[in-house]
Amino acid sequence: MTEGLRRQIVELASVHSGLKNVVEHDAETIVSGTLLFEASADGLETIKESFEIELMIPHDFPETLPRVKETAGRIDTRYEHRNPSGTLCLAVPIEQRRVLLEQPTLLGCVNRLVVPYLYGYCFWKKHGRHPFDEAAHGHEGILRHYMDTFSLRDDLSALAVISFLLEHGYRGHHDCPCGSGLRVKICHGQALLALHQQHTPQTLRGDFIAVFDLCFAKFQNGQISFPQRMRLQLARLLKIVSK
Amino acid sequence: MTIDIRKYSEFLEQTASEIDIPPGKYQDAVDRYQAVGRWLEEGTYSGSSGELIIYPQGSFRLGTVVRPIRGGIEASYDIDLVCELPLQKDRTTPQSVKLMVGDRLREHGTYRELLDPEGRRCWTLEYTEQDGVGFHLDVLPAILDGRGLLDTAIAITDKKGESYFWSASNPRGYGVWFDGKNAAAFARTAFEQKENIQRRASLIYSSIDKVPDQLVRTPLQRAIQLMKRHRDLRFNHHERIECAPISIIITTLAAHLYGNEPDVYSALSGIVGKLRAHAALVESGAIERSLATIGLIRRKPDGTWYIGNPVNPGENFADRWHEDNHARARAFFSWVDALQKDLLNILGETTPRLLKEHLSKALGATVVTKNFDVLIPPVSAIDAPRIHITNAAKPWRDV
Ligand SMILES: [Zn+2]
Repeated sequence: MTEGLRRQIVELASVHSGLKNVVEHDAETIVSGTLLFEASADGLETIKESFEIELMIPHDFPETLPRVKETAGRIDTRYEHRNPSGTLCLAVPIEQRRVLLEQPTLLGCVNRLVVPYLYGYCFWKKHGRHPFDEAAHGHEGILRHYMDTFSLRDDLSALAVISFLLEHGYRGHHDCPCGSGLRVKICHGQALLALHQQHTPQTLRGDFIAVFDLCFAKFQNGQISFPQRMRLQLARLLKIVSK
Repeated sequence: MTIDIRKYSEFLEQTASEIDIPPGKYQDAVDRYQAVGRWLEEGTYSGSSGELIIYPQGSFRLGTVVRPIRGGIEASYDIDLVCELPLQKDRTTPQSVKLMVGDRLREHGTYRELLDPEGRRCWTLEYTEQDGVGFHLDVLPAILDGRGLLDTAIAITDKKGESYFWSASNPRGYGVWFDGKNAAAFARTAFEQKENIQRRASLIYSSIDKVPDQLVRTPLQRAIQLMKRHRDLRFNHHERIECAPISIIITTLAAHLYGNEPDVYSALSGIVGKLRAHAALVESGAIERSLATIGLIRRKPDGTWYIGNPVNPGENFADRWHEDNHARARAFFSWVDALQKDLLNILGETTPRLLKEHLSKALGATVVTKNFDVLIPPVSAIDAPRIHITNAAKPWRDV
């Protein structure tokens, strides 16, 4: 375990004293125990609760996101936001990165991702609805994230944005991938820069494949067609990501 | 320790919903049985005129499903279906009705694989599902045997040794009777519950009116589910498992005795109280006059017992209660006492730990653990870190 991670575990335990069991494995460090919180959100009730959780922290955290499990079997089987493997679906990967970068430590991860998730669950259990929005499942949720962040109207524009990020990163003087005809700097500059900073090669690759898969399925059904320029770009990028 | 009765009732409600069939599973079951129905409909049956119909009966129809426990482990759901062939009783035989249905099921590649050996009354298809929670689909061959257009009585087949006999039944009539007992409570809660179910299972039901009535549960249905679960656990390791009160008796008596109480706790406590008031019958003693007048549970002059089928008074659900020195009757009333002690007299428990232990024994550890916090919030004493959530991420699911 790195010195940095060790310090983060100490910081986490100084706030959440129940998260005190630490086990080191080859590929990850596991921190587990009771997470007790009293959480509120603007205009919503305060919820005081405790859960048994397990954080599986990869060695390159915060570059790679931790996985989180609830271990006492308290999450209702009807709650849809759990992965098939039983880990909690905190958010689509890029949104997890967005939230995490606001406080890129283990404590940040627990306070900004895990507690809001569990608060959302408790609220749902009580009222039958989610206090914050829910993302669509699977690839669709990833696609939606781009469409919402950029206020895009169609899937191909989302694919253009993610392709741009994958190929160029951030380039202010290029034409904006949203198709407005304006330069990035005076169009979606800020949003694009933010995404560029949030992404890791891994999340970028994952999102590209997810959005491409969705578009390709629609292409096969005859619902959309790829413009010529995009085809060439996609061919280049597919070669890169398949490496 | 003080326990808030409203919270306890909410705990009972949630525990019952936990042992119930979840909406997704319900929809799977409906899809499965409708497919079986279509297959049976397309068959040809000698002498038939008109359309074969298939419909659920029993707990699946009545909304009192309880996930069975076998050997301490949660097992497959039992779903009972009636397969009504358009045949006249005087132009067919019980054997041919039973075998035609079995033959038709065997003509289907998949059903042939799922089919169990012939049962006394049913053909059973055993579905194992990917998530490990399977179904037993019991198909009950039958013909209409009513005395008029509105009469829903049917004749079912019964195999004893190598011979087949007719026997009488009326599951549709029973369903209508039960709905009547349940109607006021249903009307009171249906909309709110459907709204809730739709929100929780929006992938299955796109709007409130798509949520079937069969998923709404009144305090009566919840009380029956809890009684059945308690029965299953109590008689699971019992040396006299054959004395376990049968579901149709529990359901019938509970529906008769339900006084439209607005929550599960008061429904259960009303039903159990009135059942216990019948206990003196075991020693042929007198019971409260008002109960004696209704005559739900009766001793006949010869000492045998009678609990009538509400839609067919000729059928006696308690026809074996006198055997072995009234073993079934005694088991019934000692079970009713246990219901009172295990589920209703809980206010005397001294610590949360003991309460949890007792409830786990009565209803199952898994479901009690899951909902115990509703009853006793676990964290009241300790100081929790305060967190104000802003800009929260949206929960997602990878598929
Ligand atoms: Zn733009």
